[in-house]
Amino acid sequence: MGRNTIRIGPLVLAGVIALGLPLAVRSATYLHILVLLYLYAYLTTSWNLVGGFAGVLPLGHSAFVGIGAYTSTVLSLQYGISPWIGMMIGGILAAIVGVIIGLPTFKMRGAYFALATIAFAEGIRVMVENIDNLGPIRLNGPRGLQIPPLNTGLLNFMFATKEPYYYIILFMLAGVLFLTYAISRSKLGHYLVAGGEEPEAAMALGVNVARAKLIAMAMSSFLTAFAGTFWAQFTLYIHPKSVMSLDISFEIAFIALIGGRGSIAGPVLGALLLRPVTDLSRIYFGGKLPGLHLIIFGVVLVLVMIYQPRGLQEPLTRAYRSVTKKLFGHTEAA
Amino acid sequence: MRILELKGVNKSFGGLKAVEDFNLSIEEGGILGLIGPNGAGKSTIFNCIAGVYPPTAGEIYFKGENITHQRPWDLCRKGLARTFQIVKPFSSRTVLYNVTVGAFATTGKRAEAERRALKVLRLLHMQDVKDVRASTLTIAYLKRLEIARALATQPKLLLLDEVMAGLRPTEVDEMVKIIKELRESGVTIFVIEHIMRAIMALSDRIAVLHFGKKITEGTPKEVASDERVIKAYLGEEYGTA
Repeated sequence: MGRNTIRIGPLVLAGVIALGLPLAVRSATYLHILVLLYLYAYLTTSWNLVGGFAGVLPLGHSAFVGIGAYTSTVLSLQYGISPWIGMMIGGILAAIVGVIIGLPTFKMRGAYFALATIAFAEGIRVMVENIDNLGPIRLNGPRGLQIPPLNTGLLNFMFATKEPYYYIILFMLAGVLFLTYAISRSKLGHYLVAGGEEPEAAMALGVNVARAKLIAMAMSSFLTAFAGTFWAQFTLYIHPKSVMSLDISFEIAFIALIGGRGSIAGPVLGALLLRPVTDLSRIYFGGKLPGLHLIIFGVVLVLVMIYQPRGLQEPLTRAYRSVTKKLFGHTEAA
Repeated sequence: MRILELKGVNKSFGGLKAVEDFNLSIEEGGILGLIGPNGAGKSTIFNCIAGVYPPTAGEIYFKGENITHQRPWDLCRKGLARTFQIVKPFSSRTVLYNVTVGAFATTGKRAEAERRALKVLRLLHMQDVKDVRASTLTIAYLKRLEIARALATQPKLLLLDEVMAGLRPTEVDEMVKIIKELRESGVTIFVIEHIMRAIMALSDRIAVLHFGKKITEGTPKEVASDERVIKAYLGEEYGTA
């Protein structure tokens, strides 16, 4: 057993399980829950580029989800453009908005930055809620847009069953995880960490902190918008409350903080842990105790912040390393 | 050749004049010491040179180029590196990671950056702690990490801000040795220090700052016997004694 086997083995195993899961899970409900789990793991991993590595706490990523969802939906409904192309355009649009939001707000620190991003996201949501027609573009205000399920097929990003969606979001998640891994080892990754932890020292070492953060913000919002398009094509109905609600931003932050900000495994771990809580509490207590999952999140977050302030990823990584060390007598560098 | 030149540098914070009409030049390859009582304005001068904030008036030249209003990251890439009096490590990361950040200033490739970082760590006798998280280092190692990170950027001029404060005498001796080795390798050094024994042993020339003004400059011997310097450090009554 070599070093690489220990490192890559579990990844391959997880990949095989993920690929084969739809063969075992025949229930549409559970497949739906899994799709949402991956979607949130994807969203949080995208968020992590800014919120984790750059060390700030953006709480307005719902805006980018909304921009992605609305861009691709409007383009496909009104102009007959494939959602795949709409997804790219939505991503570019979101990246531009991300940079515009980032330019004035990255100068702020801590809670002020978080509040400013909330304000931007809420501002965009309220605008969309109050606009029926923006020039030639029909947004339909609070009623939202419905995508008629007429032309299914890969080209139209529309399917009658849940399995294709499952595989699409799985590949999106794998892609964004690989991207995060590559960035964390690159110059940009080092610069983001340095600028997030000690901006003054980073600047003295040749890091243009503001520029690194803006690049991260552009990439993060670009990728987040993809999730919006996916969400629109998955549910075939979007409205401001469903794709632009602050709840999305908060849930991303919960998942990241509990799983472990700034690590690669953290967002996936957080989603694995928290998404089932959300969905199961909605299924079993939805009628009697709506919002129960948020209370549970709060309690879990408080506990994690007290006992493992760097997220659950850290003790689990340590435990995993000591197990492999005992089994194979290898130590791994951090 | 003059690597650094300050002409009539002034810096005010509101009504407080931190530095007044400060002139200084450093020859390439030398070690210049800057001493002065607490609050004399030493770190302010460093911050002006390194681009943290521009001087209120005056000009700063680095290798003949006017750098008065340039930003820290641009200056770093031009070969001007600094350390901080209050150490600022990237605490959650390893020593090697910290130094690699510095090495990225002159290369885009991670393998190359890490190779350079390791070289610097060996130079500073820190290779044994390369995988240690910075938050767990002792102050002596943290001060050395500050130097290692700055060195990794491959500077021509290194500004050292009290890298010996808080060290034990044996650690001070070790640091003096390291700084002398750095000069041998061709880096010009501008050092702020309070430990007289160290700065006397190190510097070719010493400038003395008092209430924001340079009161004298000369060889360590000249400065140590200068009446104004003794007054500045020990008070007026000692000067007449």
